Amino acid sequence: MEGAAEALDYDAELMLRVKDGDGASFGVLLDKHRSSVVHFLYRMIQNHAVAEELAQEVFLRVYRSRSTYEPTAKFTTWLFRIATHLALNSLRDGKNERLLDHLDDDTKDLPVRQVFDRRPSVEQSMVYEVKLTEIRQAIAALPEKQRAAVLMHKYEEMEYTQIAGVLSCSESAVKSLLFRAYETLRARLAHMA
Amino acid sequence: MKCPMETRESAELLLAYGTRKLDAETTALLERHIGICPACRDFAGSQQALSEALDAWEAPPVSADFDRRLYQRIEKDVSWWDLLIRPFRPMLVRQGLPMAAAACVMLMAGAFLQRPATVEPVAQTESAQLESVQPEQVEHALDAMQMLSDFSHQVRAAANESEM
Repeated sequence: MEGAAEALDYDAELMLRVKDGDGASFGVLLDKHRSSVVHFLYRMIQNHAVAEELAQEVFLRVYRSRSTYEPTAKFTTWLFRIATHLALNSLRDGKNERLLDHLDDDTKDLPVRQVFDRRPSVEQSMVYEVKLTEIRQAIAALPEKQRAAVLMHKYEEMEYTQIAGVLSCSESAVKSLLFRAYETLRARLAHMA
Repeated sequence: MKCPMETRESAELLLAYGTRKLDAETTALLERHIGICPACRDFAGSQQALSEALDAWEAPPVSADFDRRLYQRIEKDVSWWDLLIRPFRPMLVRQGLPMAAAACVMLMAGAFLQRPATVEPVAQTESAQLESVQPEQVEHALDAMQMLSDFSHQVRAAANESEM
């Protein structure tokens, strides 16, 4: 916990240096959080190109806000608040009509799964792709806020309080979102157990 | 241990157990309970299976030219002040504030010349306010230009790396 608190201070300190004109500190923050932001947006939007475009917008807004930045919350809370806001806007704008209909199109971007350090067989690859499609469809079918909460909880390993800060709701609301989301996912993906 | 399934609030314990977020002591306590409670055993088992299934969903790697494209967007994202000061950038970078002060004087002159013929006393206060604001804006613009200069170096470095 102390390490996490130190990480919080370090990110906020870096951003304050950016505020003071230190461009290199922005590069450090970008290097540290680039992947997590892109991956979060990818799982929200399920379109790699759009996710990268939105991620760039996230960091652009961070940079634009440097002169008025105040560390009132964890840097990552602020960062993911911007990312979630852009993702929800993008979904509501209907820019991702292919979200549910063409999930297969992005599978070519996925890393090749290695099983026991051996190239997977064709059958294993097919089973994996079918499983992946089901997971993606199950996540995509969740209401947007539940989806965001699950992705932050599962893949970014955020605590309830931080997710609440990102979604601008109470901690109990986050727990409720997660409980319902996981309940839905368990029912839909029970056959994978 | 009270059964976590009795209340939704307590069920978060089982969620945390399924995603391996519990500390060792709580994990041990919960596992002893799971051993004797079928409802909790089913819940925990299904939650763990779900967590393992979700682990299979790996995101594609970030594009190699992500940083280069971002810095290019940042460079293009100039403010109106930056557009105004751009023609004077080489001089300002070399000679710093003295030239910035000269630009202030020019802007003040322009603002003064554009004012209506009949000037009410309060306009002088506005002019004074304008005078007090301008150096800070210029200093901010200088900081922004320095940062853009740093970014230019980083864009070129990122471009070289992506070519390699």
